[in-house]
Amino acid sequence: MNDHLAGTPLLRTLAFVLLVSAPILGRAADDADVQRVLDTYCIACHGAAEQNGDVRLDTLSKLTGDARLDVLNAVHEVVRLGEMPPEEAEQPTAAERQLLDDWLGRVLRASGAAKLEDKLKKPEFGNYVDHEKLFSGEYAHLPGFTHDRRWLISEYIFDAKMQRILDVTTTGDFRGKRVQVVGGHTVRGLSLANPFLLPEKSGVRYYANEDLTGGHLSTMLSNAQKTSVYVTDTLVKDARKRHYLPVTREVLSLEDQHEATLATRRAFLEKNVATVCENLFGEENAALLPEFVATELKEKKEFTAEETKKDKRLPVPVAQGQLKKAGGWDVFQQVVLDPANAEKTDEEIIGLCERIWFYHGDFELDVQGRLALLQDYVSDFRVRIGEDKRAKREEYKPLEESEMEAVHAGLRKHRRKGDRYLQVVEKCLADWKAEFEQQRLDAGPPADELAARMIDELFERILERRPGPAEADEYLVLVRSYTEKLGRRKAVQKLIQTLLLTSEFAYRSEFGVGEPDEHGRRSLSPRDAAYAIAYALTDQSPDEQLLEAAESGRLATREDYRREVTRILERRDVYYRVDEALADRWRHGNTTNMPIRELRFFREFFGYPRTLKIFKDEKRFGGDRLGSATNRLVEEADRMVAHVLERDQDVFETLLTTEEFIVYHDGNTERMQARSDEIKRIYEYFKDEDWENFKMEDLTVKHADFLRTVDMRTVDPDKPDGRTRQGNMLQLFKKSMRSIVNRMDDGQEHPAPFDLYRGYGNDFLPGYNVGKFWNHDLDDWHYEPVQPAKVPNRKGMLTHPAWLVAHAQNTETDPVVRGKWIREKLLAGTIPDVPITVDAVVPEDHDATLRDRLASATENDYCWKCHQRMNPLGYAFEMYDDFGRHRTDESLEYAEHLVEEGPEQKGDHLVDTRDVFKTLPVDSTGRLDGTGDPSLDGDVADALDLAERLGRSRRVRQSILRHAFRYFLGRNERLSDSKTLIEAERAYVDSNGSFDAVVVSLLTSDSFIYRKAIEN
Amino acid sequence: MPIPRREFLKTTALGTASLALTPSFNHLLAAPATAGTTERPHRFVFVRKSNGNLPKQFRLPSFSAAEQKMDEEKQAFEVDLAKHELPEWLRALDGHRENMTILHGISMSVSGGGHYSYSGCMGAYKAGRDVLGNVKRATVDFELAKLFPSPFGHVEVSLATPHGREHRTGIVSGYSAPAPKQRNYCYADPMTAHDELFKSVTNVDEVASDNALLDYLHEQESHRLRGLDGAERLKISGQVAALESIRDRNAKVAALGETIRRHLPEIDPVHRNGGRDALMPEKQAAFTDVIVGALAAGLTNVVTYTIDDLGTPITTLPENKTKTSIHAVGHGGDEQALAMRDAIRTHHVKQIHTMVTRLKAVPEGDGSMFDNTTIVYMPETGAGHHSPDTEAPMVVMSGRNSRLDLAGRYVRLPFHGTEGHFTLSNWYTTLLNAYGNPVEHYGDLDLTMQRNRLEQTGPIRRFLTRDARG
Repeated sequence: MNDHLAGTPLLRTLAFVLLVSAPILGRAADDADVQRVLDTYCIACHGAAEQNGDVRLDTLSKLTGDARLDVLNAVHEVVRLGEMPPEEAEQPTAAERQLLDDWLGRVLRASGAAKLEDKLKKPEFGNYVDHEKLFSGEYAHLPGFTHDRRWLISEYIFDAKMQRILDVTTTGDFRGKRVQVVGGHTVRGLSLANPFLLPEKSGVRYYANEDLTGGHLSTMLSNAQKTSVYVTDTLVKDARKRHYLPVTREVLSLEDQHEATLATRRAFLEKNVATVCENLFGEENAALLPEFVATELKEKKEFTAEETKKDKRLPVPVAQGQLKKAGGWDVFQQVVLDPANAEKTDEEIIGLCERIWFYHGDFELDVQGRLALLQDYVSDFRVRIGEDKRAKREEYKPLEESEMEAVHAGLRKHRRKGDRYLQVVEKCLADWKAEFEQQRLDAGPPADELAARMIDELFERILERRPGPAEADEYLVLVRSYTEKLGRRKAVQKLIQTLLLTSEFAYRSEFGVGEPDEHGRRSLSPRDAAYAIAYALTDQSPDEQLLEAAESGRLATREDYRREVTRILERRDVYYRVDEALADRWRHGNTTNMPIRELRFFREFFGYPRTLKIFKDEKRFGGDRLGSATNRLVEEADRMVAHVLERDQDVFETLLTTEEFIVYHDGNTERMQARSDEIKRIYEYFKDEDWENFKMEDLTVKHADFLRTVDMRTVDPDKPDGRTRQGNMLQLFKKSMRSIVNRMDDGQEHPAPFDLYRGYGNDFLPGYNVGKFWNHDLDDWHYEPVQPAKVPNRKGMLTHPAWLVAHAQNTETDPVVRGKWIREKLLAGTIPDVPITVDAVVPEDHDATLRDRLASATENDYCWKCHQRMNPLGYAFEMYDDFGRHRTDESLEYAEHLVEEGPEQKGDHLVDTRDVFKTLPVDSTGRLDGTGDPSLDGDVADALDLAERLGRSRRVRQSILRHAFRYFLGRNERLSDSKTLIEAERAYVDSNGSFDAVVVSLLTSDSFIYRKAIEN
Repeated sequence: MPIPRREFLKTTALGTASLALTPSFNHLLAAPATAGTTERPHRFVFVRKSNGNLPKQFRLPSFSAAEQKMDEEKQAFEVDLAKHELPEWLRALDGHRENMTILHGISMSVSGGGHYSYSGCMGAYKAGRDVLGNVKRATVDFELAKLFPSPFGHVEVSLATPHGREHRTGIVSGYSAPAPKQRNYCYADPMTAHDELFKSVTNVDEVASDNALLDYLHEQESHRLRGLDGAERLKISGQVAALESIRDRNAKVAALGETIRRHLPEIDPVHRNGGRDALMPEKQAAFTDVIVGALAAGLTNVVTYTIDDLGTPITTLPENKTKTSIHAVGHGGDEQALAMRDAIRTHHVKQIHTMVTRLKAVPEGDGSMFDNTTIVYMPETGAGHHSPDTEAPMVVMSGRNSRLDLAGRYVRLPFHGTEGHFTLSNWYTTLLNAYGNPVEHYGDLDLTMQRNRLEQTGPIRRFLTRDARG
């Protein structure tokens, strides 16, 4: 073949490539073979005659350096991954492919441009290691190991480190009880940017491939500055945190003491300067004051009777709050409480206050505001003070004698005629501040011994170790240098910054120590092993027992690893925040007490949290508060996974095939049951009454006793004036009753316990619209108080709306994405990237289903080659719409197909706002292939059938295990990890499907324990 | 012979004065290959305000009856500003009408109404709550800053007082986003902004110590590099290179010393210590001084200025006789509330006027610095206090060399959800395309447009000059 190319540009191109590479290659014998292979298998489709995929290999010499290397890299990739030549074309032998692969690798490496090896380390290339070879046992004899490595910390480890450094404690809600949680990124009063964010995608997100870059440093610069100031200016000064950095506290004690003294003097003088000056200057005092100038005010506003009636006038407590906010209440109250002023008129009282504020030097606009309020409310305020038993006259309390001497000296020195009091105070404070600074300069830097202890302390807090002797010396010099320039506080801040900015902070270290074995492998150092185990299971540093084991030599053998891993897996006394975005005051804790990284594996593997990022149209959803419903959906998916992991039996199969789900349930069965029962009780009580025609007396008299025993939002017979924006008590009662009747009139055993009407905020559990994802209309919901419970038309996580939405588009489903997910995640298959020449758009056709539209674009020879690996799997999920709702027909959502426009929500949460369109029947048939099991492969009826088969597939189990390996090891598997994977599968099977057993197996494997130096 | 490390430590504290540890997101601002298509940088100032902009207050008093009707009915049309009178609150800019666009009809439903938009209105996505996880992408100001690199890359200043509870001073978290899940920092008072931006010439000791820290880290990491090779070397060499690049940046700023001194603004002492007693107009004016100084000195080419949010106190505005709040004004629909809205915007416009006139006074090329400047005065949540978000009137001031063809006009685009409508995402795509970022579509899609099956991607092509269309 390819005779027409003899002596053509291809040879010239190769000659060029080989020529530039020759000095490095030095393998002339290969060159002719390479040329022959290319000539035989490639050039027909990528030469002068044809340029499939716009790739042409005969004109490489015309390309500039980078462009040429890009093509060679692309060729290298398709050759290595077996993607070229295409299946239907003549294939090279394994030796020929290897020859070309080696040659391309050498050429690219010689130019420093080889990308394939790095690319193959990425998670999306994990499946390119041959699955059959990994599990066949043929390679089980290869010794497993991981290379020595620095592994960049994850976003979660960063959060945990910062919380540890800053001594942060957070609370959360776990099954209705308040608990202390770890995790999340909340540091009150401090906004840190996380530079270690992981990519947002389903699958394994955290790999040991990333390097520290300028991006990390720039963000850490800002973090380091904020953190250091927070430590020295807030934490170290906090009297309740005596245990926190005691040596640093000692170093800063003089500075803190000076600041405290200044703060005390300021507080004392701002309050008492007038009294102090009167005592100190006696009769001269008045003459030293400035001339009083009355504050200019707008005319007093008189409220008309009508305005007062209409409440235009602020309620007195609100006005009092405003006076407090304007800083005028305390003086006013003291003036009123002074017996000497008891008989004074309102105007006289105002006048007294005005003079006090004037001489004091208060901000003019504040004074204006205070006087404006007093004009309108002074008599009301005087009455309130008279009625307030806690209002007391404050006695003047001088500071202790030595302090008073300093204060007097300052006032004598700085007071000038005409000064307002605050002006004098500011001059005194500036003087004292300078004096203290001088004192500190005279005291010099901290003694070496103290500074060294501080360095130790900060090392332990930030880097979790003590400095070595040389390091300690260096840091001592650095601290001295900083102190001389900036003073102690800033020096400490700079030291903290330096430690936070070292690369050691950003990397976890995993290196082997000791003598290498016959395979060149060494065991992880005990300290590194402790961290490796801790970070494999949690985001936290090792707990005390793990550290103790490392320090006492009890973290050396496989059994030692097993003991510690098992212990941590069994711990249930640490509570972890699952997702910060889901845990806030409107929602529940989103907390788990199992080691967080077990749960997070499945969370990321299935990728359902992406649902939170897909914006959906509320009108199409059928109701509002979609965000709240989506949050609940994801949180309940988390709890479903946690529930399966807690049982720890047949974990993979259960996750893929369970028919029991959690829908609008916070895990506290007692609470959910009680509320559902209460609603039912209300229904039973009133169902035979003519409640639609009730009058207010029916609630406040006739049925008052019953109503006192139940919780009906805003309905309280003892507070008949109660109302909200939605209406008065009677209206809200009827609204609630309509809602109750609606949710009970279909013979429901248990009503769903959501709010009785849609009010401001939530009365009960937020996110009730989560039911809509599961085809529960709010007025037709057969609720299950005990959950997880069976939901019709669902089977496993792939039919959970959270997974379905996460793998859909904004307004349509996405069979391609769903099929790709199954192919790659469950069948260990591969799908090449979309060719750059393909514009992947589903064509518009207003009269066809999405499936048909997609088929018209992809079921041609060129596209089907890849799409056949995805579409038939994804089609099975067409039985759900893009919100994950089960359906038998697909709406044609185009204006010309509109049958009926949906109603507006208008505050009624039972209304379904969806427009109704013409429909076409949905075809959910599909096809499964690639399990390697003829009893499973074949046509599938729908997603339920598909899920059932996937759940029974050994290939699926192995594929999940491969992903678990990547997750816990932070890298792609190699053939030398074959034994590790086989043993993990055995552990799973032998334990009846325990995921704990898988984790123990992986973390006690050779792949985890043994390290090899990198061969450069 | 290398300097022994101890000696090195002792001596480097006296390094060159510069930006030193001023945080920066410059790493995210590396200029793409398409940048630098203009000889001079283009500058952008985004002034974001709260409470929405009521469309009727943007109406021109000199509209004919027919124009008035079209405006009320929200029909698309445009008029020449030169032939019309501006509303009273906009009059300060009367002399700059040839640079002005009153831009109507852009919807903000992609970022949403509500009380606050946080980062959403700059990134064209719904931010929901002010949490990091909700930051979906780099905001448009950061994207523009990538096209025109500068020592600070991007500067954000803010007079926001979130929820009216927190009187903010110093360096605090901002609303713009350099990347997904990242939050910018911002200066919350003019003195801090001044001290930080101009630190290289105002606080030599602090900067020298910061440089010492950088030098030490560089030395330490370089030491770690020894003996490393291959992948392990890469793990550390990135850090060393980053330290070097920050030192380079500092050196560049040091070289700008004379220019910086020339444009160093003077800030009134009332702004010291957070400026508790500074009146709101004084704060606004001081921030304007800092912004103009930073642009003129070449410290940044992009500024985002949150001139108020619903919590920003306005009791010190002289027109505010009743000491009301922005939030209360937003809920009030009476004449008093409308007048207060006018008053608030009048103060804002005064600042924009200062920016325009001052930048016009700085020579650049054959014209002035303003020739290469665009100022966008925009609401953060649309056309009302917390709704609707279906329109969002804004004012754009653009200089002679603008790559947008819209100056001198009152433009009303087709209304939301109808054929030919443009969203905030289209508007930002237009800005980005015009200045060298060829993104096909920036920002989220509008779900109503999507539901109505209307085309909504890409730039507003009619605004792109021939040059910008390429």
